Amino acid sequence: MSLKPLLAILLAAAPLVFGQAQPKIAPVKFTDTTLDNGLRVIISEDHDTPIYAIAVSYKVGSRDERLGRTGFAHLFEHMMFKGSENVGPGEHFYLVFTKGGSMNGTTNNDRTLYFEIMPKNQLDLGLFLEADRMRSLNVTKENLDNQRQAVKEERRLGVDNQPYGQAYEKIDELVYDNFAYKHSVIGSMSDLDAAAVDDVKQFFKTYYAPNNAVLALVGDLDPKDTLARVKKFFGAIARQEPPKPVDLTEPEKTAERRLTLDDKLARLTRISIEYRTPETGNADQRALSVLASTLGGGESGRLYQKLVKEKEVVTSISCYAQGRAGPSTFSIDAMVRPGKTAEEVDGLISEEIAKVLAEPVTAKELERARVGMRRSAVSPRGSVLQIAISLADDAALYNDPNRFNTEYEKRLAVTPADMQKAAKTYLRTANRVVVISKPAAQPAAPTSMPKQN
Amino acid sequence: MNKTIVLSVALAAWAAAQTPQGQQPSSFAGVVRLNKAPISNEVLKVKLPRPVEQKLSNGMRLLVVESHKVPTISLQIAIPSGTLQDPEDMRGIAEATAALIRLGTKTRNAKDLAEAMADVGASIGFGAGQDSGSIFVSALTENFDAALALLADMLLNPTFPQDELDKWKTRQKSNLQQAKTNPGSLAYERIFKVLYPSDARQYTLPTVASLDKITREKVIEHYKAYYVPSGELAGIAGDITPRDAAAKLEKALAAWKGGPVKHPTLPMAGPLPEKKVMLIARPNSVQTFLLVANRAIDRMSPDYIECQVMNRVLGSGPSSRLFRNIREEKGYTYGIGSGFSASKVLNFFMANTSVRTEVTEPALAELLKEFQTIRDVPVPAMELADAKSAIVAGFVLGLENPSGVLSRWLEQREYGLPEDYWDQYAAKIQAVTAADVQRVAKKYVPLDNAQIIAVGDASKIAELLKKFGPVEQTNPDN
Repeated sequence: MSLKPLLAILLAAAPLVFGQAQPKIAPVKFTDTTLDNGLRVIISEDHDTPIYAIAVSYKVGSRDERLGRTGFAHLFEHMMFKGSENVGPGEHFYLVFTKGGSMNGTTNNDRTLYFEIMPKNQLDLGLFLEADRMRSLNVTKENLDNQRQAVKEERRLGVDNQPYGQAYEKIDELVYDNFAYKHSVIGSMSDLDAAAVDDVKQFFKTYYAPNNAVLALVGDLDPKDTLARVKKFFGAIARQEPPKPVDLTEPEKTAERRLTLDDKLARLTRISIEYRTPETGNADQRALSVLASTLGGGESGRLYQKLVKEKEVVTSISCYAQGRAGPSTFSIDAMVRPGKTAEEVDGLISEEIAKVLAEPVTAKELERARVGMRRSAVSPRGSVLQIAISLADDAALYNDPNRFNTEYEKRLAVTPADMQKAAKTYLRTANRVVVISKPAAQPAAPTSMPKQN
Repeated sequence: MNKTIVLSVALAAWAAAQTPQGQQPSSFAGVVRLNKAPISNEVLKVKLPRPVEQKLSNGMRLLVVESHKVPTISLQIAIPSGTLQDPEDMRGIAEATAALIRLGTKTRNAKDLAEAMADVGASIGFGAGQDSGSIFVSALTENFDAALALLADMLLNPTFPQDELDKWKTRQKSNLQQAKTNPGSLAYERIFKVLYPSDARQYTLPTVASLDKITREKVIEHYKAYYVPSGELAGIAGDITPRDAAAKLEKALAAWKGGPVKHPTLPMAGPLPEKKVMLIARPNSVQTFLLVANRAIDRMSPDYIECQVMNRVLGSGPSSRLFRNIREEKGYTYGIGSGFSASKVLNFFMANTSVRTEVTEPALAELLKEFQTIRDVPVPAMELADAKSAIVAGFVLGLENPSGVLSRWLEQREYGLPEDYWDQYAAKIQAVTAADVQRVAKKYVPLDNAQIIAVGDASKIAELLKKFGPVEQTNPDN
């Protein structure tokens, strides 16, 4: 096993292009090592509190699912808590919590992440639990059927029993043509029903290999000793044939797509507008994410001031750039005030979009966006878990764990001209999707439902 | 933050209860334990860093938890403004005051204020609780002075503009409609009416009629009476020394005076004696939201520590019985939990979960079965040891965030707990016995007197609910 830990000495050296200098943020230092079996291991010392966080990011998400198996990556995530050779079903979370820790797993379009945060003396426990399931997941029909139920409840809770739940799925279906991103992470009920034990076994072999994962450890650790332990627990897990990269490319769209839904659980009209944008890391996507804070940006944002306060046509509005590893989106969601129409709201939003196409944002707005960036950049540094998750995800998705340190400087360098150029390219009517949810729930008249005993 | 860390062998009672490595696998609902994973039986002995307390000239008691790892500072100030002070027919005044105070000052309108906050990247918020309210400020270190100056402007020079009040009411009325579509919101609204029928605690939301009655004059009256500092607790956590923290607050808030005001006190009655089953019809639901509750303990109760351990066994977190049985073994739900709401004015225990409509009956039966078991059967030694370990070993996780440390000390001060409360906490948890757990379970986990609320498709669940008791059915609008 050849291990050459590269001590990444990270200098936040990018010069500010203009505007007043923001105080520097001390970079998070880490070691970055790849084991012989392909497992990438990132370790960062932080001795503030006697705890540590472990994050394992697997390069597999709902984008890797095939037709007829939507929701599978997430269902699989649940199976990772149902036991492996040396860990019984449910023992993983039982041990973590009863030893004073906390943990969870989460799946999105691009990756599946598992994490624990524990007292520092339980380092071996965390490593053992993650290694055992990476090496020897125990897949049974009984466990699969059991977690299928839990996941179907998760879908009911988040989608089928929620006002506007179905709108989120419909938006992706209209934004994307490529199956990879066109379907939801939670998946359809019929596809969840169709998932079989063999699917789980094959998925495990293909995607849950050390060479398809990144392990990050952050906290009150000794990097050398920790790496030795990682080697002990993970070193013997066999490498697998790397999975084929998924094609995420989207055909060019030439016309706006619109949909109106009757929502039986809603009482207020809601409008969602999404513009297609490039992938995370692309300069235009970054510029649009800065622009989103000027348009959205809470109470000082243009949309809130215009639509909530001045025109009173909506009761809430949000605007954000939702970055994915592949084609992403710039989204605006608004709750329409009773008596007002989605069309009025759409018209006013379009006027605000037209303004950012016509004029660069002001110097004041840029400074506001920058101070917001600084707050967002410093706040995760108080949490070893947040740091571990960022390092693991950035390595898994962008092959760049140091993105945690460099992205802030890149965002600071975005200019009003960059934002305007990106807006002109992507915030076009032909490049957008509009989904309007109309309330179909009727308030029951007080007398229509007689009391019964 | 200065933390003294000593690795120590766990208390004997706890260590003795651990399963030695290599012992036979054991299992119970939802979990099979192979006991092969390497675990440390040591508990990190940590001390919660103490805050520095200072009395300010306006009568506030300020606690400061200093931590320089992240360049941010957060401030919270308690004020005696709560919804319990709202007149019966004008509910919403405390919330209106909290919203309006940041929407206009003598020199700035709402937009100016929003922009000024964004300019310095500060969050400034006001909230109305029940018996008290709170003010929150958080900002980067270099912007904290500017944020405090803005807070002072809002606190000392508010104008409560009429047009902002009107707009706020309009938004609130929409929010009330929205709340009627949310199963959890519907159930909570009902349970407060059931548990506290005789006083203002029963109201969790204003109504359209009560919002309509709120006037600017009443809001100003509320502000004058209840936005006062004397006798109240404040806390600062983050990148600042105690000396600077006090000096900055003295300077920014020198002109803010008034108080002390007595906080409302309300009778704390014991559990309701009669069982009640309530169905809130929510057409087109595919799940039933289930809530089971009754009055239990307030925060000053001598049973508080025992209740925490009991609930860790029963319903707190994925290692608890409710999660292991109803989610992991039965697959009826995505999430389930129970807990105590214990403050100066609240004293109830509650469990809740969302289950698919078809399993409403077995899920509710199973939940009540777990209630029965923890009341009737002493907790096995190892399960009790594990529950205590979860709390005691997990205490260290709360030391990472200075605001979390501050919250614990504010809790100690607010409820008049002993000075060494957090130093003794681990030992107190460890001292809880199986008999203690059973005693508080019998006393506070409701069974024959359970207050049961189901929110879901009445056409499918009204009949089966009758098996649990006489059903009173309503809908979201009455």
